[in-house]
Amino acid sequence: MANTNKMIFAMVAGILYVVFGILKMLEGFGIETGLAESLLIPGDFFGGFCFVVIGAVFLYAVKELSAGVHMGVSYVYVGILMSLVFMAVYLLVMGADLLMFYAVKSEDYEGWRIIDSMRPGIYLGLLSLIGYFYWKDRFTTEMTKV
Amino acid sequence: MEKKKITIALAGNPNVGKTTLFNAITGARQHVGNWPGVTVEKKTGKRTYKDTEIEVVDLPGTYSLTAYSLDEVVARDYVVEEIPDVVVQIVDATNLERNLYLTTQLMELGSKVVIALNMWDLAESRGDKIDTRKMEDFLEIPVVKTVANRAEGIDALLEEVVREVDKGEHHEHEVSYGDDIEKKIIELEGIVGKDSALSGKYPVRWLSVKLLDGDENILEKIEGSSVATQVNSVLSTIKKDDYEAAMAEKRYETINTVLPQICVKCVNEVTFSDMIDRAVTNKYLGIPIFLAMMWAAFEVTFTVATPLMEFVDMFFGWLAGVVAQSITNPVLGSLLGDGIIAGVGSVMIFLPNILLLFLMISLLEDSGYMARAAFVMDKLMYKIGLNGGSFIPLLMGFGCNVPAIMATRTIEDEKERLVTILVNPFISCGARLPVYLMLAGAFFGRNAGTVIFGIYILGIIVAILSAKLIRGTVVKGKPSPFIMELPPYRLPTLKASAIHMWEKGSIYLKKAGTIILAGVVFVWLLSAIPAPGVDAAFASEEILGTEDSLIGVLGHIIEPLVAPLGFDWKVAVALVFGFIAKEIVIGSMGVLYGTGEDEDALAEILTAGAMTPLTALGLMVFTLLYVPCIACVGVVKKETGSWKWTLFMMVYGTALAWIAAFLIYRIGTAIGWGL
Amino acid sequence: MMPEGKEGKVVSINAGQGLKRRLVEMGFCEGSLVTVHRSERGALVVVVNGIKYALGKGLATKIMVSDC
Repeated sequence: MANTNKMIFAMVAGILYVVFGILKMLEGFGIETGLAESLLIPGDFFGGFCFVVIGAVFLYAVKELSAGVHMGVSYVYVGILMSLVFMAVYLLVMGADLLMFYAVKSEDYEGWRIIDSMRPGIYLGLLSLIGYFYWKDRFTTEMTKV
Repeated sequence: MEKKKITIALAGNPNVGKTTLFNAITGARQHVGNWPGVTVEKKTGKRTYKDTEIEVVDLPGTYSLTAYSLDEVVARDYVVEEIPDVVVQIVDATNLERNLYLTTQLMELGSKVVIALNMWDLAESRGDKIDTRKMEDFLEIPVVKTVANRAEGIDALLEEVVREVDKGEHHEHEVSYGDDIEKKIIELEGIVGKDSALSGKYPVRWLSVKLLDGDENILEKIEGSSVATQVNSVLSTIKKDDYEAAMAEKRYETINTVLPQICVKCVNEVTFSDMIDRAVTNKYLGIPIFLAMMWAAFEVTFTVATPLMEFVDMFFGWLAGVVAQSITNPVLGSLLGDGIIAGVGSVMIFLPNILLLFLMISLLEDSGYMARAAFVMDKLMYKIGLNGGSFIPLLMGFGCNVPAIMATRTIEDEKERLVTILVNPFISCGARLPVYLMLAGAFFGRNAGTVIFGIYILGIIVAILSAKLIRGTVVKGKPSPFIMELPPYRLPTLKASAIHMWEKGSIYLKKAGTIILAGVVFVWLLSAIPAPGVDAAFASEEILGTEDSLIGVLGHIIEPLVAPLGFDWKVAVALVFGFIAKEIVIGSMGVLYGTGEDEDALAEILTAGAMTPLTALGLMVFTLLYVPCIACVGVVKKETGSWKWTLFMMVYGTALAWIAAFLIYRIGTAIGWGL
Repeated sequence: MMPEGKEGKVVSINAGQGLKRRLVEMGFCEGSLVTVHRSERGALVVVVNGIKYALGKGLATKIMVSDC
């Protein structure tokens, strides 16, 4: 059934976003999780909250789909949209950092490299990007068939 | 050869792309003003097509031409009194039925109408096939397909418009209201027709229909005439409510018999919009999703604005340098450098911040999401006596309160509008940010961000509680019914959103160029004029911005008022100048503490003893709550039309600010925090 | 109060003159088909005549709808 794929995707994405979200919130509070370095998790309390929300949207999709509610795919779609939005946000932040380094030459940015601005928001968003292109219009057509 | 001149009016439902079409037709040749006597915005523009000069008047978006709201009265009066050569109705092809309701009313008015069938590409992609030929046949009105946001069909539209003007013959179309009502209409026509003043000016049938419709505006017009008593006696024989509803239904009946022949619809499918709405209006997820989107908007605003602000700063620094080098006269140099450039510069620096926030809000509005957000927040708004309609104007306050207060014009209920205007200043605008950044940055270091966030939240809380309080006492009433159309989601075009951003943000720019410029010069003058009894030259080094200038005199007079809050005379003066523009507060302090442009130096002096973390916090809270800038006060007066309420807002805010700062200072001192 | 997903026809509107007229003009006439998309504690999202509207608390209770 077409929806199983989406359910698995939503489950994975949901858990990833919730976990990363909690990690970001913890780091934001100053609690070291030891994963900050390897996963590039910034200390960002509110950004973390937003990730938890995205994760919740995905997990809600799993809830509905597993109960057989076809409309549950709506939540997968919205989850994907939101993660793409946030990916755009973090890319813009990266752009701003770039400007600060190259054009403004601010001292806070001495020795900055692009990798410093890479965030989970960006690489997790790639996952959603794949989901989006894979399913695209099939979201609605698969709906109306039912 | 002399150019022919005609005037056309653009009418249509809200959300049909009327403004986009208006922009596409008139381009840069636009003028925004007000309809006489009311606060409804009037947009006019010009366009030359072949050998005709066209004046375009943009009427307010309305669902019909009755007199329920000010917008409708304005639109209706214009068509009836000013009689434009042609009325172009922009019809949303994806909502034919409801849009045609307005068409029936325009036809009854006897105007020459041309229909611009907008967004027909969307309709077709949805599977609706619209036969414009048949439409023209049934309505006896030319129909032109347009896609306003791609500027398609404009020339064809203008061609039809020009052609329509030349057509002498004209049909007055009639919706048949059924035998009973038609009988009454004929009766009234006979009566009204006798008064030549009325019948000469308005179509007789239209007057009769409107009278039966219970149109108060028309009733007023009749009152003064010779046939008033006769009309009223006829009207007293009918049940108004029944007639109104019946007539509206008849109009829809007419439309519905015609519609299936004009438009073939496909099966209703589940759309992307419906799917998104399912998640976005979800009972539990709706508000968190909204909060997340808000965070995203603010995050982009602040981080992307930072390098842009640096650019503005560098520009003004360079400008100041150029001025310093080329101007030899020290007085003029100081006026330009320390006064104008520093002052205006401190305001312009926040332009990227404000424009970006408005861009984010415009993108959210144009995508259609904002309407959903208003719905999600409606429940909460209900608790404070407002409804979802007050939501967007309050949200805009985070950029600048001036356009935010102007945006309250969309709120229909007068009382709710008043309350929304009165509490708007508590939403911390972009202009107050420099004060927070400087003080929080200097005194709270790592926690600066959290403190500033706290101030914003405080503003929101005060706004909410004040709304509840005012609604419960001085401006009593129940929240008016909230109904908002949720248009299908669409990907916003950068161009359209940029235009909307500019509509909101340019007001800030105008404020900077005028009031703030004048204010800053005024501040400089006060700081340059020697105080009485001081023996020094005007604008000389010794007195500029020190106690020995008029500023010092002013400061010492005010000092006792703020001493209980832990502020000294310099802070007092800065706050007074904050009335001119909040951005000037920091600039004035720079002048008064002798650090000029150098914010780091100012921070050092303040932390070294001029202020304490406690008084800094008090100052931030005071800045948040007290009387807003003069531009804002001016707008409040204009939009409320009342000095009483404007003064109330000013006094209420300042009193609240004083009390809050007082409590902070006293309690803090008592428990020994932040000293 | 109609549950989500149900369809119905407008029966009557219990509102004051101005509001009633406005609702009718927007398409809530007797006999119009209404589909409820969202319903929770008084606030509704409905589709009438192909157009989606959000109705705040209080307003939804004024529109009487019958089952299709």
